[in-house]
Order: sequence, then C-alpha cells, then structure tokens
Amino acid sequence: MALDTIPVELHPADTPKIRRIERTLLGLGAAFLFVNFVGLVIVKADVRATDWLHMGVWLICAAAGSFLIDRYLPGRDPLLFPITMFLSGWGLVMIDRLAPNFADRQTVWLVVSLAAMLVVALLPGPIRWLRNYRYILLVFGLLLLLATIILGRNPSDPYGRTNAPQLWLGIGNIFFQPSEALKIILVAFLASYLAENYPAMRAEGLESGHRSLPFSPRVLGPILLMWGISVMILVWQRDLGTAILFFVVFLVLLYVASGYRLILISGAILIAIAALVAYQEFDVVRLRIDIWLNPWPEADGRAFQIVQSLLAFAAGGIFGQGVGQGSPTYIPVVHSDFVFAALAEEWGLMGVITVIVCIAILVTRGMRAALRQQRRPFLALLTVGLSMLIATQSLLIMAGVLKLVPLTGVTLPFLSYGGSSLLVSFIIIGLLLRLSALEPHDAVRTRN
Amino acid sequence: MQFAREINRLVVGFLAILLIVAFAATYWAIVGAETILKRQDNPRQVEVEASIRRGSILDRNGQVLADSTLDSNSILIRQYLYPEMYSALGYFSFRYGVSGAEAAYDSILKGDDLPRDLSAYLSNDLLHRPREGSDIQLTFDLTIQQALAKAMAGHQGAAVVLSVPSGEVLGMASFPTFDPNTLDIDWGNLIEAPGNPFFNRALQGNYQPGGTLQTPLIAAAMLTGSSLDTPIADATRPVPITNVELRCAAVLPSKALTLREAYIFGCPYPFSQLANELGVEGIDAIFHTFHLDTPPSLRGFVVQPTNAIGTTPTNGNLPPETLAQNALGQGQLTITPLEMAMITAAIVNDGNAPQPYTLLDTRQPDSETWIADTALHPSMPLTTATTARQLQDMMRLAVADGAAQNAGRAGIDIGGHATLAYSGTKTQAWFLGFATLEGRQGIALAVVIEDSADPGLAADIGGTVLAAARDTLAK
Repeated sequence: MALDTIPVELHPADTPKIRRIERTLLGLGAAFLFVNFVGLVIVKADVRATDWLHMGVWLICAAAGSFLIDRYLPGRDPLLFPITMFLSGWGLVMIDRLAPNFADRQTVWLVVSLAAMLVVALLPGPIRWLRNYRYILLVFGLLLLLATIILGRNPSDPYGRTNAPQLWLGIGNIFFQPSEALKIILVAFLASYLAENYPAMRAEGLESGHRSLPFSPRVLGPILLMWGISVMILVWQRDLGTAILFFVVFLVLLYVASGYRLILISGAILIAIAALVAYQEFDVVRLRIDIWLNPWPEADGRAFQIVQSLLAFAAGGIFGQGVGQGSPTYIPVVHSDFVFAALAEEWGLMGVITVIVCIAILVTRGMRAALRQQRRPFLALLTVGLSMLIATQSLLIMAGVLKLVPLTGVTLPFLSYGGSSLLVSFIIIGLLLRLSALEPHDAVRTRN
Repeated sequence: MQFAREINRLVVGFLAILLIVAFAATYWAIVGAETILKRQDNPRQVEVEASIRRGSILDRNGQVLADSTLDSNSILIRQYLYPEMYSALGYFSFRYGVSGAEAAYDSILKGDDLPRDLSAYLSNDLLHRPREGSDIQLTFDLTIQQALAKAMAGHQGAAVVLSVPSGEVLGMASFPTFDPNTLDIDWGNLIEAPGNPFFNRALQGNYQPGGTLQTPLIAAAMLTGSSLDTPIADATRPVPITNVELRCAAVLPSKALTLREAYIFGCPYPFSQLANELGVEGIDAIFHTFHLDTPPSLRGFVVQPTNAIGTTPTNGNLPPETLAQNALGQGQLTITPLEMAMITAAIVNDGNAPQPYTLLDTRQPDSETWIADTALHPSMPLTTATTARQLQDMMRLAVADGAAQNAGRAGIDIGGHATLAYSGTKTQAWFLGFATLEGRQGIALAVVIEDSADPGLAADIGGTVLAAARDTLAK
C-alpha cells in the first residue's frame, strides 16, 4: 500500500471532447488578449512591434502547447492548460502596460516556462524522480536555500547596496529565486514521507481509541523540519510570504494525510503565536502588521503602498477604467506584488472576479485529480500539495492587497512579473496535467 | 476512500476564503470607493484635476484675461495675462486651490456644470479624454482696471467701480496683491508678507467708515426736515474721541459752517451735533435704511459680513460719546469698499442701490456662442429720488469747491465726497464718487487708501478712474 506504483499508462479518454473544450477556451482567451493588446496599443498611441511580438509569442506557445498535450497526453484535464495560458497572457498584457521594459524578458520566461511544463507533463520520469530521489532533491533544495542565504542578491540591486531582500541567485544577467524551486521539492518530499507514514497516523488513533497523535515523533519530525525551514527563511531572508506559504501547505498536507482536524487548529494557533513573537522581534513583520491594522494615518508614508492599492480597487469600480487608462503605477512595484490591484483598476471588479474564478477552477481541478488518485497516497498528496501551493499563494497576495491579511510579498501565480515564479507555476501545472491524465487506480485494477 | 473527506473539506474551505476575498474586492470597488476616492491624497483626483482644460476668463470687451495652455512638457499652465487683473481674478493652483473670480466660477471653468449626456460619458468616462470647462466673460473692463491699478500704484488700499444702473463691477482692485502666475513658488513669502496680499480688501476689508457716514447722516437730516443751511459756530473744530481727534477733510480756518458746507469739507463736528439731535434710534434707523447693517453680496465671491450696528444698545441710555463715535464712523460698525460703492451707486441712481455682479455670459467648450447669464440682479431702494438728487448736488459741490476738488476733471460731470477715517493710530482716506454718462447711465466708485491722511489723494485717484471709465464706456 505504501509503495504505490506510479502508472505509466494514461487512462483512455474522450479525446475529441477534451480537445474541443481546450481549444474553445484557448480561442476565447486569445480573443480577450487580442482585444486588450489592441486597446493597449491605441492608448499608448505608440505602435511598437514588440507589443505584437509578445502577443505572437503567446499565440505560438498556446498553439504548440495545445498541439503537444493533445497528442501525447490524451486524458488530461481540459481546463488546466487554457486557464494557465489565459492568466499568463493576461500577465503579459499587464507587464506590457505596467513595466514595458520588463516585458521582453517576461515573454522569454513564458517560452522557457512552457517548455518546462511540457517536459514535466509529457514525460513519465519527473514525477517518479520526485519520489525516488526525494532525499537528494531535498538536500539539493536546502543547499540552494543555504547558498541564497550566503550568496543571495537582488536583481534590482545586484551589489547589495540597499537593504532590499536578497532572495535571488544570479548567474550573469539571469536571476533565479531558489525558494520557488524549493516549493515543489518540499511538497514532493512531504508527500512521499506522509504517503509512507500516514497509515500509522490514522491507525494509531483508531486502535488506541484515544488521540495522542500530535505528539508522536512521526508527526513531530516533519513539523519541526518544516517549522525550521520556515523560520530560517523568515529570519535570514526576511521572506515572510514564503515562510507562511511553506508552513500552511505543510499543515494542509499533514491534515489530509492524518485526517486529524486539530492539526489545522493548532497550526493556526502556532502561526498566531509566531506572528506575535515575530511582531516583537522583526521590524519587517511589525511594519507589515502595523500598517495592516491601521494604514490610514500613514497613508503617505509606510502605508503608501496598501492605501494606493485600495485606491486602485476603488478607482476600478465594477467595469474598470480600461486597459492602459487607469493610474495603477502610483503603487510602488505594482508589476510584481500588486498586479492584482492594477488589474482591479483597469478591468474592474469584473476582472477581479474573473481571476478569482480562474484560480478557483485551477485549484478545484487539481483537487479533483487528487481525488481520482486517492488510492495512491503519494500521488494524491502530491496533487493536493501542488494545488494548495497555488491556492495559498494566490490567497495570500489577493487578501494582502485587499487589506484582509498583512502583506506578505508573494507573487500572484501567472499574473505577476517574475521569471522564477512563472517557471515554477508552469511546472506545477505541468505536474498537475500529468497527474490528471494518469489512469485512476481503480481502473488499473479492473483492467489487470 | 481515504482522503476524500479531507480533500472535500479543503476545497470547501478554500472556496469560502476565496469568496471572502471576492467580497472584500466588491466592498472596495463599490461601497468603500465612495469615501476612499475622495481622500486628499488620492493622486487620481489630482491627475483628473490637472488634466482639466480650464475655461478662459475674458473681460467685457472680449479681451482674454486668463487662459490655460500646454507648456513644452504638455502640462497645462494657467496664465494670467495682465498684472492689473491679479487681485480681481484671484488664482488657480493645484497645490493651493482657487480664490477670487477663479473660485467664484470654479465649477463653470472646470466644466462641472456641463450636461452629463451620452457624449460626455463617452469622451470622459469611457475614453478618458481630458475634460474641458466653459469660458466666462466677466463685467470687468481691462482699461478701467488698468487705470485703477496705475492710479493706486504704490498705495495700500482698495477700490470698486460699479456701472449704474446695471450693477456690473467694472473694476475691482486690492493692494498689495500677488502674482498668480508664480504662486506655487512665492506662496511661502506671500503668506508671511506684510499687508496680507491674499486678502481682497475690496470685498473683505472691514474698514472704519469714518466720514463716509456723513452721507447717510445728512440724508437723515434732509428726511427729518432739519435745516442744512443754518450756520453752526466753530464747525471746523476737531472732535476728540478716545485717543484721536477727528478733523475736517480739508484744512480750514476756524469758522462757522452750515451742515451742507460741513459735508462738502468733510468736517465732523456738525455731524456729532446732528447725531445728538437724531438720537440712537434715529441713527439706527438711517443706517438700517442704507443697509449698513446687512452685508452686501457679490455672487460667488467671499464677502466679509459687515458688523451689524445692532450691537449698539438701543434703550436710549447710550452715553453721548459712544453715540457720537458710532455716528462718526469710529464705533463698532465697519464697512467694505464694495458696500460704499453700492451706496454711491444708489445716489447716482435715484436712491436705488444696484446689486453688483461680475458674470456676463459663458461659452461652452467647442462652441462659438456666448450664452448670457440669466441670474437676476434686483436693485435695492436706499433712499428717495429727491434725497438722492440733493446728495448728488452736494457731492458735485464738494468736487467743485470742497474737499474732493482733486477729483474734478474738465468736461465731465463728477460728484464725490472725500473724508477721513481713523483706526487705531492709523488714518485712511476715503473717496466716494460718481460720474454721469448720457441718459441715466453712470459710474460709481469707492476708493480707500490706507495709511494716508490725505483725502485729496483718494479724490485724485477717484477722478482719474472715473474719467478713464467714462472715456471707455462712452466709446
């Protein structure tokens, strides 16, 4: 049971129907992007070939991706790829509009990301590697993290002159954020660890009739590991968002594996305690919480960003100002952390709801794939973990720019500017595509 | 099914939180937007304001006085073309707001009054084209204003010129003033500057009326049937009150004068006698008749309310000194140049004070047609036509032979009254004057010069401006 197999077989599917859904959705997405690119060019009153080049690259990516997965991944979920392309295309429009100097780079990252997604989705190997080489990967990931702590830089400040967080590793002109890659490695590691240990967790409670579960070393071990990694990220890298993201996704995985609800509750309490301690100890955390509780007195100082973000939502109203016609650039670094606010100003509540629905579909389709694989704990837990990465990250930043929770400085998957983020998000989608296309366990058994 | 329950709960929880996010976005986009967008620090509001192409301001002859043009960086700049108009037009600044005529007609100049129809929705809300405001044509006359500024150059004070019987404000000036073209740079200095350049003395200056109250007092004497021609012994002697001595507006030897002559020379003593005769109620009555207890208005402009004379106890127990002090314009009653110009206008207009106004017509953006402003300007009766004519004649005499001689100009029918007023240790010179044109037309003016004990100077300025105004209007 513990050593569930990873099937190579893809389950037979209604391929024409999947193809139809996928291509219709991609077509709609392309139409939306085309209209917005045209609008943007008109508003800019400056016809640059590169804007169209970005749209063209996107079209080629969408067509090539659609063709390849249609050919080699017949039983895939038909919604994942079109929505991913739709959101990342929208992200390109946003970069073209908010920070045109970065748009070429982001387009290149889109091509790289799509290639990575296809590799992960079309080849049987990667998922197996994630489990078989989990210790090597974990050590590698932690080494990368360590390297970032020691050698980390910031692309906008490569020589460390300012106090900007140094979360990137750079080779020449290319920068990568290792904590992004660590996301997948950690989720895969935890999934395989929990897949081996969950029967004991569940059985323990059932057999003894009392629940001493939270204190068993089997549970405490990974908790301490994750807690340690999260604290390390927080203390040495001052990266609040990633720390919370890791911890939340881990708690969720542990909950799914053990079925023990108290984990979520105690986890929430742990986060609250950590927040209190961090509030006392770390200036960066205190600042975030202070301006979250009451930004108004400091609207032109430390709380400028969040107040401008709320103003962007207000200025957008229901229908938005129209692409290129709002003033979201008043928000500092709008193209990465605050892209959701910029979107709200120019596409209005309609755009915001569209993005929320897209994220909801991506996550629920991922969870659906997990349900189909629930007889294979590793695959099920891996799928849950990957879906929850996207879910938690989206929630953290969307709720953050809306002043529902303190700002945590993570990117909005697919929409924010950032190569590492885009690449890893696409790899997650690639894994989910593959997982959704795998034959369900029951089907394998009946066929054998 | 081992994980189904947990996975389903996770999905439900996730969707619930996502729903909260959607509600929060809805709140800020719809409910919270109302209040938050009005915040002072909303840069969008400033941006929209900055992009509005403000309408031009023209004088009565179509001369452009102020307009908005794009500078080399495509930023809209508000230009004020004539220094003589500065104090009347006020200023428009992103940082410091609006004042004067810019404030009075702000909504028209900004285009707030334009109809919100489909084309406005299309161009403003949908395409975000910069908004444009209407042009306005004011009653000011650049030539008169230039004569006024030239005549008053170097002096601190204010003047208002009205057209009779319409009530159009032909000229309005307050000195010292400021340059609205360089307001953002000069603001700090202007705020600290002596004489408070932002203060529009013509409309807001609370001046001691001093000898200008001789006009309503002598009108009261006429109405009560008192003799204007009985000599009063020692009429030229100064009247001491608290810490100053009130003197005649002209330097005269000690002699007897009639009340009429005392008016012509601006001598206070006979009027203090008259005040005793009239008593508190008589004085309150005549001030009330001349509307000195109600502030005049000028549509859109900020006008300082006059201190009501009602603050004087009217139970008859008023000590004689206080009574004289009030009647001689050195008490609690204060007045503005606009108010005195209205009284002068009433004298040349058979006793009816015209309601002053400044807006003639407006022109919508992209339109060639001027649309006349439809507001009504009803005049206000102050005294009888007979009394008004008698006052006119006395004022003509004052220009011919009295203290206002300097106002005389050859070939023009000018009447006036030059007097002094005291506030603290300082003296102001007043001149109220009129010139008649053909028919029932006329020009009325009030000038006050601060820190001056020379009514002749005020009269000279008045004469010059009246002559210039007559020349301009007669053309």
